[in-house]
Amino acid sequence: MTCTETRDLFSALADDALTPGERAALDAHLAGCAECRRELAGLLRTVKLVRAMDPVHAPAGFVDRVLAAAQPAPSHRRLVRRLMRPWPTLPLGAAALLLIGGLAVLLFRGSPEQQRAAHDQLEAARAPSSERNVAAPQSVEAPPAAVTAAPRSDTDLSKNYSEPPKSESMRAKTAAPTTKTDAPSPRARAERAQATVPNASRDSVSSAREQEAQQRLTPPAAMERREAKRELADRGQEALAPAVGGRSAAAPSAAERQPPPVGAATPAPAMATAKAQAMPQSAPLSRTGPMTGIPAAPPDVTARLRVAHVSGAERALIELAARVGGRQTGRRIDGGRLVVELAVPRDTYAEFVREAAALGAVSIESQATDRPMLAVAVTVSN
Amino acid sequence: MREGLGADPPGLLPRLRAGDPRAFEEFVIAYQHRVFGVALRMLGNRAEAEEIAQEVFLRAHRAIADFRGEARLGTWLYAIASRLCLNRLASPDRRLARGDDALMDVPASTPDAAAAAERAELDAALRAAIAELPDDRRLVLVLRDVEGLSYEQIAEALALDPGTVRSRLHRARMQLKEKLERFA
Repeated sequence: MTCTETRDLFSALADDALTPGERAALDAHLAGCAECRRELAGLLRTVKLVRAMDPVHAPAGFVDRVLAAAQPAPSHRRLVRRLMRPWPTLPLGAAALLLIGGLAVLLFRGSPEQQRAAHDQLEAARAPSSERNVAAPQSVEAPPAAVTAAPRSDTDLSKNYSEPPKSESMRAKTAAPTTKTDAPSPRARAERAQATVPNASRDSVSSAREQEAQQRLTPPAAMERREAKRELADRGQEALAPAVGGRSAAAPSAAERQPPPVGAATPAPAMATAKAQAMPQSAPLSRTGPMTGIPAAPPDVTARLRVAHVSGAERALIELAARVGGRQTGRRIDGGRLVVELAVPRDTYAEFVREAAALGAVSIESQATDRPMLAVAVTVSN
Repeated sequence: MREGLGADPPGLLPRLRAGDPRAFEEFVIAYQHRVFGVALRMLGNRAEAEEIAQEVFLRAHRAIADFRGEARLGTWLYAIASRLCLNRLASPDRRLARGDDALMDVPASTPDAAAAAERAELDAALRAAIAELPDDRRLVLVLRDVEGLSYEQIAEALALDPGTVRSRLHRARMQLKEKLERFA
């Protein structure tokens, strides 16, 4: 037996996998070859080193994540997901754009009701008649402009702000349709949006007035109150969404998933104010936007995601939430770590967890899946 | 090295086939470390290893009704894990993303106070040497010397002839020996 043939048997020798014949030939060669004995000693040492490596253990929570991911999604959701796989959010986005476009056209055309409301408002404010036709579209097209423009007509608009009977009737008018119909037609929705325009304009102006007055007194406190009010309006809007869209909280409307669109944002303050009075506690989710500074409600699920790149993972999480029918509800820094807050439908939660695990090491710290829409807080870190 | 792959937990396979969710949980608990271990040693990244390990169990969950039971459940899982790891390693994205420090976040062996530094250096060299092995050789080495499978079980899991397993293992070990010579 040559040295090469002998050394080819070393590995099998380490595993006691040689036949008696091979073993005898090997021993005979080794007895007379010091070089092969050194080689064999080196190989056996290497094998021993590898075998001394500690066995690896799966990370904590691995079993739970596998079990969650193995839960089958309802068949209708699987079908929808399959149909939308190439562009998961495109159809919803397109529908939302069409709806917003339709609303914008209707608003620009104007209805008698809208004109009458605008007229009443401007009459009350004693504004010059030449501004009448401009007021409503401006507030629809660019709400921030209405807010920032308010101080310029400070004295005139203060009267509008101090007319409680008219504003109450307006509020009633705005709130009524939302409770009457569960599934309004697009046209009904458009009409409702139109009906809220004067209110929106008035509320924007009023809130601007209020903001300025508060800032004159104690600016920091006023700022806080304003943020709190904005948060309340946000919650109100969210609570109102199911009634407006005729959908449950588990299925947020397509428009909600889009960035605040032109025109769609304008009715929010009026609707929100009306609804916030009726059901301020019913907002199902933590809604801690980046500007609110208001702590989140306890989430249903808290998780940690360890990744190489935090910002990339944040984007991926938000996209993932959208893919499974959810959305981002907030973002905050907690103890120097980024916390991404998401709303995820319970039906697609398992899929969410499974795909989140593809982004990095996921560990679920707490999990309650009682509600149809789960508030999920994910701490993303390196 | 992990203990050799023993017999399947008694009665588990029929319950899995019947769709018993508790059986699936037992199944994952029983094999999670083995599956994750292979994935981590092959991929060198904990996040990626967990993703693959999870996918292994999900595929097993979907295919359990078609599992004929000719092999052990553990061998079957190793087969799925091996295939998924090799596919992942062969993907173009993965080749670009993979750096030279693959396997570097595999936890080191328990450091002993006195020899910690020396041991850490050896561990690092060992991991690097394993990471540098060709994928097919590394897989055989991991299955044999880390996971404790027999030649026959490896041959079954990888659909290879036992002679091929033996020769691949030999080449992998000899290659490692060359790289670790300075620690001899």
